[in-house]
Amino acid sequence: MYLSTAFSLGAYLVAAVLFILSLRGLSSQATARRGNLYGVIGMGIAIVATLTLQGLDPHPLLIGAIAVGAIVGGVMAARVGMTQMPELVALLHSFVGVAAVLVGYSIQLASRGHLDLKTSIEVYVDVAIAAITFTGSVLAFLKLRGSVSGKPTLLPGRHGLNLGLLLGLVVCGVLYVRGGQTWALGAGTALACVLGVHLVAAIGGADMPVVVSMLNSYSGWTASAAGFMLENDLLIITGALVGSSGAILSVIMCRAMNRSIWNVIFGGFGADAPKPAGGAAAAAPDGDMQEIDATQLATTLVGSQQVVIVPGYGMAVARAQHAVRELTDLLRGRGVTVRFAIHPVAGRLPGHMNVLLAEASVPYDIVLEMDEINDDLPTTDVVIVIGANDIVNPAAEDDPSSPIAGMPVLQVWKSKLVVVNKRSRGAGYAGIDNPLFYKPGTKMLFGDAKSAIEGLLAAVKAA
Amino acid sequence: MKLGIPKEIRAEERRVAASPTTVGKWVKAGWEVVVQAGAGVGASFPDELYRAAGATVVDGAAAVWSGVDIVLKLHPPEPGEAAAAMPGTTLISFIRPAQHPALVEELAAAKLTVLAMDCVPRISRAQKMDALSSMANIAGYRAVIEAANRFGSFFTGQITAAGKVRPAKVLIIGCGVAGLASLGVAKGLGAIVRAFDVRPSVEDQIKSLGGEFLTVAVQESGEGQGGYAKEMSQAFIDAEMALFREQARDVDIVITTALIPGRPAPKLWMADAVALMKPGSVVVDLAAEQGGNCELTRPGEAFTTDTGVVILGYADLAGRMPGVASELYGTNLAHFLDEMGGAKGFAVDHGNDAVRPALVLEAGEVRWPPPAPAAAPAVAAAPKPAAALAPAPVAAAAPAPTKKASGHGHGTPVLPPSKTAGTVMAVLGLVAAIAWLGLRFGKPEATVGVGTAQLLQHLTVFIMAVFVGWQVIWNVAPALHTPLMSVTNAISGIIVVGGLLGGATGSLDAGATVAIAATLFATINIAGGFLVTRRMLAMFRK
Repeated sequence: MYLSTAFSLGAYLVAAVLFILSLRGLSSQATARRGNLYGVIGMGIAIVATLTLQGLDPHPLLIGAIAVGAIVGGVMAARVGMTQMPELVALLHSFVGVAAVLVGYSIQLASRGHLDLKTSIEVYVDVAIAAITFTGSVLAFLKLRGSVSGKPTLLPGRHGLNLGLLLGLVVCGVLYVRGGQTWALGAGTALACVLGVHLVAAIGGADMPVVVSMLNSYSGWTASAAGFMLENDLLIITGALVGSSGAILSVIMCRAMNRSIWNVIFGGFGADAPKPAGGAAAAAPDGDMQEIDATQLATTLVGSQQVVIVPGYGMAVARAQHAVRELTDLLRGRGVTVRFAIHPVAGRLPGHMNVLLAEASVPYDIVLEMDEINDDLPTTDVVIVIGANDIVNPAAEDDPSSPIAGMPVLQVWKSKLVVVNKRSRGAGYAGIDNPLFYKPGTKMLFGDAKSAIEGLLAAVKAA
Repeated sequence: MKLGIPKEIRAEERRVAASPTTVGKWVKAGWEVVVQAGAGVGASFPDELYRAAGATVVDGAAAVWSGVDIVLKLHPPEPGEAAAAMPGTTLISFIRPAQHPALVEELAAAKLTVLAMDCVPRISRAQKMDALSSMANIAGYRAVIEAANRFGSFFTGQITAAGKVRPAKVLIIGCGVAGLASLGVAKGLGAIVRAFDVRPSVEDQIKSLGGEFLTVAVQESGEGQGGYAKEMSQAFIDAEMALFREQARDVDIVITTALIPGRPAPKLWMADAVALMKPGSVVVDLAAEQGGNCELTRPGEAFTTDTGVVILGYADLAGRMPGVASELYGTNLAHFLDEMGGAKGFAVDHGNDAVRPALVLEAGEVRWPPPAPAAAPAVAAAPKPAAALAPAPVAAAAPAPTKKASGHGHGTPVLPPSKTAGTVMAVLGLVAAIAWLGLRFGKPEATVGVGTAQLLQHLTVFIMAVFVGWQVIWNVAPALHTPLMSVTNAISGIIVVGGLLGGATGSLDAGATVAIAATLFATINIAGGFLVTRRMLAMFRK
């Protein structure tokens, strides 16, 4: 081994530790920025160490590709709106997938079909996982963007189809490993692509946070598989870190919805559930929705002591976070205590609401988690629910037949007054009716979140 | 699981461990509740209310002690009181294990599991279970009411047609939970309130309640462990005494609440200070049970000195308000039961830092004092609060838990190591060891390829990395989950290494071209991921 090669391996070790420190930094807001910086440094070290490995001869085009990639990525990151974060994350996952597929192919092509048994298995596994990640992420991206309907597509016999695809993958794999032909690898890739699409297509819109974090996990395992293929420990370690990170996020999201991960992946939730389920049938006749107008609400708010705002995806879609922040400042200026209650699965991405509120400069110490604030809700004067539905649905607690039964929810109905801002009278993303809207202590403020909150803002100023 | 609430048998005690409201909540949460007939009568909770809340009412303490899984009490059991309990029964109550070694022995012999509410640590997470603070808050309120009862004038100043009445002046010594509660009430009644404490950190709390903070010229902080005060130097005490003598001539009512953990209450209000007070003045000594802060205090008694000063040494101030005291104590118990897993998963978890310090006995085995030195003050009496306690506890409300300020950090799930995974690993290890022995001595010449050896090496690295990742990620604050995702996204761009290796072969054949394309995508990912994370994190501000 050349001394310089040993040095490169040492540099890999440093990079791996930096990645771990980077994730560790995210344990609090105070250290998060440093954590990100560690990640950048680690990546820089890894790239430089690789490029300077003894015996490598980087083609000018390779350097060009790095430069172009950095610029494209930088522009994307600078341009993306905070509300489009879920789409960007899904898109970036797909890039990891496609890159890993290409790396696998480059090994196959460079070897001209003369791979040993172990390497060929590794190439195949890498390409298969990567292809699933790739197409799955692209579909998730399209769904999040709204280009494809968020409703789950449930083909008849989909479990059989999944099983068939998996079998096909194995068969192609055996053929490829035995013969080393590129066509077998290609067929396997195609099957994996279909599998990726089918897996994500079957998952409903409300489960998108789980899908995104699962794809995050897949992209990690992809990198790990590539590490095995290239005999590169740095890739293995980093991939494993990312893979477990995504897996944990998926578990956290599933727990927040009180459902098992298998139920989310294969459940087709959100369409299987009969629409006029127990919750709706039982609750709807109880009364009508009562509306409240901005002036009335403004008077109530100004006279309140404790106000809690529950943001949901509706706030993200309408980009109402700045108006919400202005309302918060105004009320706080008048001596009203305003806090935010964040449900773990609010939005389409884990932590989505926190990011949006941070973008609007809402101080993070008044943004609380569900467990922290649920006990305080009974003493709260007004709860304003902005574009959230399932996460405040009392059916989760009262109605065992509801599809979301047992999911922990924000108990907003315990407060003195709940005001729900909604675009229309329809059911939530998951297609479940919400008895909250018919409770006597609930008033509805219909309208797009942004215009509704801006109207409220004007009314509070006048009050 | 069955909860049992016996009647408190200590003389004059009117409180009970749980109100019907609390019992109703327990029944709803899936507990069965057994209440001794007459348990709540002193607190104005007749048996019917307990029945209506869903409890079974039984006659006699023995029926409660012998027939339930968990006995909830207020006072430490009297000798023989717990005799009827079956081995393995859990008792949750005030215990004061340091002061009652004989009681601990008796309960240990009965093979009980005992948790002491007075040993719940004073960490912010455990505030909702802090029964000492609940009781201190009530005692502080009642102290002012008792003083007003004995005091021959208004608290608030008045100018009437019949003449002018000056406002009462109240001095509070020791501003813990009780002291602050007294301060708030006295202020609410219209008195001029001054407060003294050796801990400078309470100054803001005193001022926020409208009190005047008294201090001495000697620079010394009395900040002790766990929010309690420590003993002070002689110079400080001299200055303090001079201040008190000066105040004694001026104030009408003195309320003392000073305690130092594990020691008799410090003597602060000496006989000469009492002698300087105007006739008709009142001293309320909340530390009476620990010997009293006033030199003349007679614990448990009220009397008037020769100079006409009334000294109240009641030890049962909280007990004089049995209704609210029972209500709040019951709520503390309810939170404690929830902390221990609630009706479904009730268990003693040694890893729970809010429960472990309170564990005195576990099925008769002594578990007290707890191992960690960072735990709560071991000997606790009517308390002083953690400095973190907000300037809120007034009147009948429970000490308002200072709201955990920020949206991160807590609630981090701490996963117990999975048992099944451990078992699987142990079995795998055993199988591997046996296989190795078989190969080593059976077929020592069998070999494997270099590839397999490498694979095993990489597998080791892989599994270790998964474990590290698993540990690190659970600590990530939920509010940072989106940045976590984008940063991991960027990091998974490490696949670029694969592209670099394939694209640096010196030629531009098919393999290298594909690898260069891979590099392009991976770099977009790296740059995009890191930059967008940076953008997001820059937005989080306090």
